Amino acid sequence: MAGPVPPVRTALVAGGLLAALAAVAAAGLQLGAGSLDDPTHGAIFLELRALRFGAAVLAGSGLAAGGVLVQGLFRNPLASPSILGTTAGASLGGQLVLLLGGGLAVSVRPEMLLSVGSVTGALVALLVLLALLRKGADRVTLLLTGFVLSTLLVAAGSFVVSVAQEQHELGRAVVAFTLGGLGGVGWAQVILAAPLVGIGLVAAWLWSGPLDLLLSGETEAAALGVDVVRARRWVVVWVAILTAAGVALGGNVAFVGLVVPHALRRIVGAEHRRLIPLAALGGGVFLAGCDVIARLVPTRAEMPLGVVTGLIGAPLFLWLLRKTVTT
Amino acid sequence: MSLEARAITVSRGGREVLMEVSLAVEAGAVTGVLGPNGAGKSSLLLALLGALADGLDAGEVTLEGRPLSAWSAGERAQRVAYVPQTTELTAPLSVRSVVAMGRQARTGWSPWSQLGADEVVDDAMARTDVTGLSERRFDELSGGEQRRVLLARALATEARVVLLDEPAASLDVGHALSLYGRLRELAADGYAVVVVLHDLDDALRFTDRALLLREGREVAMGPTPEVITPERIETVYGVRMRREAGLRFEEMKA
Repeated sequence: MAGPVPPVRTALVAGGLLAALAAVAAAGLQLGAGSLDDPTHGAIFLELRALRFGAAVLAGSGLAAGGVLVQGLFRNPLASPSILGTTAGASLGGQLVLLLGGGLAVSVRPEMLLSVGSVTGALVALLVLLALLRKGADRVTLLLTGFVLSTLLVAAGSFVVSVAQEQHELGRAVVAFTLGGLGGVGWAQVILAAPLVGIGLVAAWLWSGPLDLLLSGETEAAALGVDVVRARRWVVVWVAILTAAGVALGGNVAFVGLVVPHALRRIVGAEHRRLIPLAALGGGVFLAGCDVIARLVPTRAEMPLGVVTGLIGAPLFLWLLRKTVTT
Repeated sequence: MSLEARAITVSRGGREVLMEVSLAVEAGAVTGVLGPNGAGKSSLLLALLGALADGLDAGEVTLEGRPLSAWSAGERAQRVAYVPQTTELTAPLSVRSVVAMGRQARTGWSPWSQLGADEVVDDAMARTDVTGLSERRFDELSGGEQRRVLLARALATEARVVLLDEPAASLDVGHALSLYGRLRELAADGYAVVVVLHDLDDALRFTDRALLLREGREVAMGPTPEVITPERIETVYGVRMRREAGLRFEEMKA
């Protein structure tokens, strides 16, 4: 279809992102502590790095696509799962599962339940946010409400961390999950998160038509035939699933869901059927790239992934905010 | 195609904004909804659209004899179209994509159903004279251009009832005339057009029938020249109305 975004440009962006993904994959497999030429451990290093790369791509895709959806849902380009407290909710859900799972010593391994906890946490956070917002709340009210909710959930998360510290192993696991990072990611987590990201992406893409109409506001969308209540309900579910999968893999990683969709929207336009798949690809490249940077920085311990995305994302967010306020 | 409000009462924000107002929308005519600020004109339009958040307090709105609420949003959108006074759409979308939004209720929501050419979209754009803007970004158009694109989007739904909320507000005289000209053409093609408007002179020139509201109540309903009388205007608006020859503008035919 013709538009301000010729299909050629979309194809170029997709091609560029695929090339970047290949480059990041090559770097991610090569770089890191330990040599691939090591006769005894080389194969293990390669497997761990491949696993880590896959987890980064999945988490980045989920968070970026989740960002596209909340920005569409709230018609606010500055909204994102991390700013609205959705990632903090998913994080808290995950922390609670680790805490209770560890405490109860149940037969199921905690990481199996991590996804369930994160999805539930994200869903609750989104529902609370929707309940707090009055109809027609403006952009600033949305961001402030999300910020307060996020702060509350992070505080609750810190409380869980301090409780978990009473048991050494549990404390370590909860802190590692909270800081984010793909260093300790295992097959179980990737296998659990992959279907969540896959289902979330396909479902979100199938809803791209109503999401486009919702950009006109609820009254106009309803006049154009969208069942607004139903659309909102389902989009909230897909956001929760995508965000939770991202958090279950990479922890509370900020800014991916904000920066990636925003940058892409400027290049390929706001139509969701283009934006959702490209944001998923772009989010994967961004997070896998940040993970490579986290490994490259010469600190004694590896730099947490959330720190890298924050250091890149926060200045970008401020720049976007400035631009949005002035326009 | 019949859309009818029967003795509807509507509250918004705890205040009654419409009281026992009735309006039968007529095919082949432009119906004006008139009244001072706060008379309930926009609320009536939203009620006809079925878009009031809290619904009706009393009375009912029917579409083809069935209550509006018994229709799904998609079915309604194929029958009643809406052009808002100002749109909330600020996203970077092409004019063509915005007009194509009007097709979704008919073609379905799936992403692939939005691909490919659509003659209805082309036709709607030609009728509102926005074909030349097709590749432009909607958020970068002037207010007048946006209004025409929104009318094209409404026409792309192929609904035969079109509701417009102050479509000529903030338009210059040329664009306003052109827009009213389009509405007259639609009525001539058998569309039912309902338009909220402020300018009584425009109402006299471009509407066939008018409903005059004051503080949520019907003051008069009928052929526009019979509704707009000096006595009523004095009562409703508190101004004196005089008929005198002033400037008159007309669209130039190419």
